[in-house]
Amino acid sequence: MPVDQLSGGPVARARSAVGTWGVGRRSIRAWRAGAWGAPAAPPEPGRPGPARKDTLLGAFAVALALGIFLVDAFTPLESAVAVLYVVVILIAARGFGPLGVVLTAAICISATAAAYWLMHGLFNGDSALLRCLVSLAAIGLGTVLILQNQRAAERLAEQANLLELTHDSIFVRDRSDIVTFWNRAAEDLYGWRAEEVRGQDIHELLRTDFPVDPAAIWDELTRTGRWEGELVQTVRAGRRVTVESRWALQRDVRGEPVSVLETNTDISDRKRALEALTESERRYRTIFDTTRVSILQQDWTAVRAALDGLAGQTDLERHLADNPDFVRRMRASITIVDVNAVTLRLAGVPDRSAFMRTLDEFLPEEEQTFARSLLAFARGETFYEGETEIRRRDGSTVPVLFGITFPERPEALGCVLVFAVDITERKEAQEALLAVQAELAHALRVSTLGALTASIAHEVNQPLAAIVTNAEASLRWLARDVPDLDEARAGIARVVASGTRAGEIVARIRTFLTKAPPRPTPVRLCEIIDEAALLIEREILRHEVSLRREIEPRLPPVLGERVMLQQVVINLMVNAVQAMAETRDRPRRLVVRLGRDGASARVSVIDTGPGLTDEARARVFEPFFTTKRDGMGMGLAICRTTVEAHGGRLWAAGHAGPGTAFHFTLPLPEPEAA
Amino acid sequence: MAEAPVIAIVDDDEAVRVATGSLVRSLGYTAETYSSARDFLRASAAREPACLITDVQMPGMSGVELQEALVAAGRRLPVIFVTAFPTESLRSRALAAGASGFLRKPCEGRAIIDCLERALRQRAAT
Repeated sequence: MPVDQLSGGPVARARSAVGTWGVGRRSIRAWRAGAWGAPAAPPEPGRPGPARKDTLLGAFAVALALGIFLVDAFTPLESAVAVLYVVVILIAARGFGPLGVVLTAAICISATAAAYWLMHGLFNGDSALLRCLVSLAAIGLGTVLILQNQRAAERLAEQANLLELTHDSIFVRDRSDIVTFWNRAAEDLYGWRAEEVRGQDIHELLRTDFPVDPAAIWDELTRTGRWEGELVQTVRAGRRVTVESRWALQRDVRGEPVSVLETNTDISDRKRALEALTESERRYRTIFDTTRVSILQQDWTAVRAALDGLAGQTDLERHLADNPDFVRRMRASITIVDVNAVTLRLAGVPDRSAFMRTLDEFLPEEEQTFARSLLAFARGETFYEGETEIRRRDGSTVPVLFGITFPERPEALGCVLVFAVDITERKEAQEALLAVQAELAHALRVSTLGALTASIAHEVNQPLAAIVTNAEASLRWLARDVPDLDEARAGIARVVASGTRAGEIVARIRTFLTKAPPRPTPVRLCEIIDEAALLIEREILRHEVSLRREIEPRLPPVLGERVMLQQVVINLMVNAVQAMAETRDRPRRLVVRLGRDGASARVSVIDTGPGLTDEARARVFEPFFTTKRDGMGMGLAICRTTVEAHGGRLWAAGHAGPGTAFHFTLPLPEPEAA
Repeated sequence: MAEAPVIAIVDDDEAVRVATGSLVRSLGYTAETYSSARDFLRASAAREPACLITDVQMPGMSGVELQEALVAAGRRLPVIFVTAFPTESLRSRALAAGASGFLRKPCEGRAIIDCLERALRQRAAT
């Protein structure tokens, strides 16, 4: 809508003109309504309401028409009195629509013609006829103009109505900031009604804060015809609102500025939301920059797409396990968008621009948790945490505890936040603790074995000592100048007794060891092997032996005495490690294998030491047989009796090439009948 | 002929005690046997033995503790230890306290005899 049609005067006039006296669509009540955007107020007591005024005006028009007719028809006044009918039609146009106007005009024309006929008869070609024709022409012309004006006013009113419908508050003010138009949205926003602000200096009323000097705004307005900016204003209730303001300048026909159309949109809520958002962003940034937690922003959009491509896969876990290439591609598809300073330090990267571009560069080759986080993501979980290692710029790795937050909205996948904490110190403390535990266990193991050997040594050595000493003494009694046969005989008798006693002690130890386990419980051999490996870790490290465990995981537990079975495994493993002490020309490798052997579980302990001679293999389980310099020769004997007490078998096998393999079996519990 | 030197023998194992006593007597000494360190401490006060042969691991007071008790009492008789379970710490502890010998069971009679004779010679020399 052209701005110049909006100055208060024409709009107000147009609105005044569209009311009707009950003719057509509009009611009389609407006669004065709308000029200032508000419905007509009910008439105040004692003052004539609009309807009453309209009726008076109508009566006046009728009286005027009657007066004109009487003067025209019955007085000899030699002038074109009938021209005054235009005034009647003008008054009618205030109340009637186009049809009413035309009817009124027709009546006026008829009256003019009738008055001429009454006074002068038909076609009396004198000056009276000329006056009559002038009057008729004036009435006709006036009617056409009035109709045109009415149509234009109606169009303007419709356009002005549109201004009422908009949610933007719109007002027009003249050069002195005096309001001349004020729409309904302005009433809603500011709380003043149109008639209340009429004639007021609007920016004084609204206590407007301008972003710049108003003079500068006016400069721009006169130069370009427009201005836009943010204003802070006060509404009637005292609340301050921020509005987005657009001004347009209206000029008159001479180009002089006459008024300003101001359109204001309340952006207080938007502004507050934006401020809250900014504040939130600032807080996030503060955390991001100052926390001791490492934060990475990653883009997982490509992962979503790739996973959607796998929609047919029912067992994603298996698919990931079978397709390491896919997992690798996913790693490479995740870009690292942003990292905080802690992350830079953690990764040993000088600045953000030099940081790893993708997750693939940031994780070590054999990283295990990524596939699991992929699974969590695919299952729609919103958080995944774990422990892993990251790769620094220099190639070294750092253990970290991490958490990933997956946004719920797919469009936010560009901002997957990963938090990580360096747990090197914790890890070191943990390892130190483990080392202490292993040491304790080692000490315990040594003392268990030591106590056993000490006890055996004492028990067996006592009778042996007695035998040797008695024999020695007997020899001396016999070697005397006069042999003391009684002493010698007594000594030899004691040799026999001590010998017998030694045999009894050995038998007693055997009986003790071969006794059925006192408390058979289900024992998982894989756990026994793991624990044994931990217990003898020091020996393994000291001898620089590489340990390899080949465990069949789904083996049921055997029944037995846990500690005794553990001693067997430890014994075999320690023997194997010590057997490789001198091995220099090949890798020192210890393999512990757990598998099924018929109805039994079978444990094999295989070393790469010098191996056993045939003779040694034949005697290795005999008590007191040893190939070690300081060995007691009891370990394997005890092991065999322990295994046999559990219903199993222990043997040494020939081994292709160097090295020795010891195997033992233990019966597996019978599967329960279905 | 002078009275034969008295050799005291302390061992909780009767077979070993009797055997050692027999060996000592076959050499011409007088053997006095005790089944515990406390018995020895109680009984031997009357006449100081020339030498003491004692086990280490015994119930109650051990051989090493017996030696320390003797030193504390100012008794300077030579002590020979015989043990079925010799450890380095025991050995150094005993020798530090002035032991004349530290033997391992079972040991040859010859070793006991040599040790015994050496201890007696040292004692005579002082």
